[in-house]
Amino acid sequence: MEADAAKMIGAGIAMIGAMGAGLGVGLAAYGGVQGIARNPDAAGTIQTSMILGIVFTEAIAIYCLVVAMLVLFV
Amino acid sequence: MAKEEAPRKWKYGVKRWIALAIIALNVYLVGKIPPLRPYIQLPAEPITGTLFTFPFTGEPFYLTNTMLAVIIADILLLGVAFFVIRPALKSGKQVFTGIVGVIEALLEGIYNLTEGTAGKWAKTIFPIFATITLLVLTVNWMELIPGVDSIGVINEATYEHAHHVDHDLDIANDCTQDELFRIGSLPVVAVNGVTSCGAIMAPFVRAAATDLNFTVGLAIVSFMAIQVIGVRSLGLGYFEKFINIRALGKPGMGKIDFIVGIFEIVSEFSKIISFSFRLFGNIFAGMILLLVIGTLVPVAAQTGVLLLEFGVGLIQAVVFGMLTMIFMAQATHSHHGEEEHH
Repeated sequence: MEADAAKMIGAGIAMIGAMGAGLGVGLAAYGGVQGIARNPDAAGTIQTSMILGIVFTEAIAIYCLVVAMLVLFV
Repeated sequence: MAKEEAPRKWKYGVKRWIALAIIALNVYLVGKIPPLRPYIQLPAEPITGTLFTFPFTGEPFYLTNTMLAVIIADILLLGVAFFVIRPALKSGKQVFTGIVGVIEALLEGIYNLTEGTAGKWAKTIFPIFATITLLVLTVNWMELIPGVDSIGVINEATYEHAHHVDHDLDIANDCTQDELFRIGSLPVVAVNGVTSCGAIMAPFVRAAATDLNFTVGLAIVSFMAIQVIGVRSLGLGYFEKFINIRALGKPGMGKIDFIVGIFEIVSEFSKIISFSFRLFGNIFAGMILLLVIGTLVPVAAQTGVLLLEFGVGLIQAVVFGMLTMIFMAQATHSHHGEEEHH
């Protein structure tokens, strides 16, 4: 039972890293929206690279999730 | 053309009644078979017995459900290529419609992207990019089909499995399982049909990217492709990026360049890890999300998550292929040539 509790706490702690990814995704969207507002014609190009950047940033949160799930389920 | 002008068989508004009927069926079935907390397992479940043992290590080989998913995806892709795309190309039409048009649009976008990044190597890099993208896309979208991940064979639970689901479980109790039907002697059950008896269900087909073997294998393939195209374009000079002996002779910053080369090796191998875990994490998280949402709110709530997973599957497939393409394009650039531009 105590091991289970420790596992759950560990999974929770592992997910703290998602905070950074959240900040990063927010920054990427901020930059993207500002760029589109200044130059609406370039919306397509900006969106593509913005989504690419968001995906890379999101990968960090996914790593945290993988660690948390490995802690929980393995 | 004749197909479009043919009169519609169904009158307007029939489809919404079908959707309503499916929702009503859903409510009825949930009332009859209440959902159970899913058991989430990382390794893929074997669906056959031992087929053969490996000659030297003696490890047993058996077919797992993720391998079955990859095989189905392969058959699907090859089937579409040979029996849909090839006749369409031979028919000599200029404008394609339907699935051929969709695939043409996707591949054209991929090719333009490759040409913009890789230049003269586009023709070499494009097949790998397209293959990886199409395979991962097919495999990811298979997860969205009802029954994948949720219909399978009941296996006897070990104590650990049962303990994971229910802590107060007495495994010696007789298990009562709601069978859907039998194939031969195999009882086929739905994931929600298992009563709390400590049996676990191994689905027939499980999304392949939820198995680390698939994603690591694919990452190693793309890693090898990056090295091969590097050697093809630059010869043995490609490895100067990693072990920069010439820089050691230079005065001043030369030794730092050598150390940077060592770090390049580390970052090169970390590509395998980041490639594989990005795909694995996204799809595994999606699978768990689908299972958990399906358990918490069994009626219709999964629909939104399915839409999300549709997007995630597409984006991850394109990102996996695109990163391979970008790294391959980088590998064709000479390290020294780059320095001269600055």
